Amino acid sequence: MNAFSARAPSRGVLRAWGLALAVLSVILPALPLGPLFSQPPLPLAVLWAAYGWAAEDESGWRAPVTLAVLGLVHDQLAGGPYGLFAAIYLSAYLVGRVLAVLMSAPNLVSLWGGFIGTALFTIGVAYVLARLGLGRNVSVLPYAEAAIITAIIFPLVRPLYMSNSPSLRPGARR
Amino acid sequence: MARRRSSVRRAGGGRRIPAGVLLGIVLAIGAVVLIGTQAGRTPQTEAVMQTGDDGAAAAGRVATGPARAGEGFFDRLFGGWNSAARIEELEAQNRELQAWRDLAERLAERNRRYEALLRMPPDTFGEGADIENSIAAQLVLDSGGPFMRTLVANAGELHGVKVGYIAVNENGLVGRVVSVGQHSSRVLMLDDYNSRIPVMGESSRVRAVLAGQATRRPELSLYPYQLQAPRMDFIVGAQSLREGERVITSGDGGLYPRGISVGVAQRERDGTWRVSLAASQQPIDFVRIIPFIPVDPPEDTADPNATPPLGSSSSVAVIGRETMAPPPTAPSATPTQRPPAQRQQRTAQNEPATPPQPQQEAPPPAEPPPATPPQ
Repeated sequence: MNAFSARAPSRGVLRAWGLALAVLSVILPALPLGPLFSQPPLPLAVLWAAYGWAAEDESGWRAPVTLAVLGLVHDQLAGGPYGLFAAIYLSAYLVGRVLAVLMSAPNLVSLWGGFIGTALFTIGVAYVLARLGLGRNVSVLPYAEAAIITAIIFPLVRPLYMSNSPSLRPGARR
Repeated sequence: MARRRSSVRRAGGGRRIPAGVLLGIVLAIGAVVLIGTQAGRTPQTEAVMQTGDDGAAAAGRVATGPARAGEGFFDRLFGGWNSAARIEELEAQNRELQAWRDLAERLAERNRRYEALLRMPPDTFGEGADIENSIAAQLVLDSGGPFMRTLVANAGELHGVKVGYIAVNENGLVGRVVSVGQHSSRVLMLDDYNSRIPVMGESSRVRAVLAGQATRRPELSLYPYQLQAPRMDFIVGAQSLREGERVITSGDGGLYPRGISVGVAQRERDGTWRVSLAASQQPIDFVRIIPFIPVDPPEDTADPNATPPLGSSSSVAVIGRETMAPPPTAPSATPTQRPPAQRQQRTAQNEPATPPQPQQEAPPPAEPPPATPPQ
């Protein structure tokens, strides 16, 4: 065996990195570290996590609770009201499960298409809920920009959140 | 087995709803309820948000500490390379500024004399702003979301900050304090979609309302107090506004003192006016939170014994009273032609009922003129 060959990181390590990226995407825009970390260029990594966990058939309590907590932290940093980002992230998780079933072919295009659908759905959710929570004058455009950027970058970070293997996906053709 | 335990069998059907999905649905419904109740923004739940701001501000201070220390270190390190050139540049600027200061002092003195001649009331620029008791604070958190534009500063109720105080930095107006915790305060920035402040052009005096857009530079609505009204109504005023003119707060509405620099007016291709914010010329780090006590509104009824604002000895006031026409009285009946004698009698009868005419400032009682005028 070649001594210099590097082992591919395990699934658990990748998932931990994915979670860290999601947490950082919530916290970093709130820190005054300059325009590099300001929205909307920074992608919403929590959407990746929500879709990835949904597609990987996370049937336990951890995925929705983690998403709700991240959403509430995001709401706190943004100045409220509580529940806005939590609802957006949870809706991504719920619709991600449906789209992961519909687009369950084990190829990147299918996975990417599912995430694009999820991101677009969250824009609609954000439009409705932001008007409910923040008033009619609020603009959903910055969120839409961030969601689209998130969808474009998705193939680069997909291994952190989901595998190509269809074995764990709900309703996947096995 | 674990999969089976974590699933809920729907009554009457073979399909199972996974527990995670069920939990997700419940949490999503709860989140929507929180949004509907405006949790964190109502007076009852605001304390939770403020406590969270305090915690987040403390965490933000810790998190940004190394970055700020690093910035200072590198500034000092690399600033030494060109210190000699920098000193020369600053000395040249200093000489130029001294000349400007002399000119400004001369003009200010001249202006004071003109104002004294005209008996002008004192200027209200900055009136109500308690500069001496301002509180310096550091920005520790940005809004962190795509919907709102707020920032959290590390000075709160314990430092004397109250809701309504205004936040400025070295370049201009940043915003207004909307929420105060024990150790932190949240400032609504000018470009937030909730922000509406009355402004005016510094030289043209065109009044407008600055409406934040959260995504772009604040838009300048040239129709005061009716943001969604057609803007063509004030196109005459808009023509007076000039590209590049400084925009300052007008003080209307009593939320901001008058005369604080807001930015520079810029005209878009579609004809709308926007403002490049002065405060955003460089990243906002430190802010100054200034107490602001708005000017009291005038009383409903004026005190009859109160002296006129310009003073009874003012020539303007005297001339105004001398030349003021008596207040009109409503005619009791349709005027008819009467003979002159009857008209005189009726006038004599109505005389007590007529309001007293303004008395001219009569000169002292006439005395017999002296034989020789006093020298």
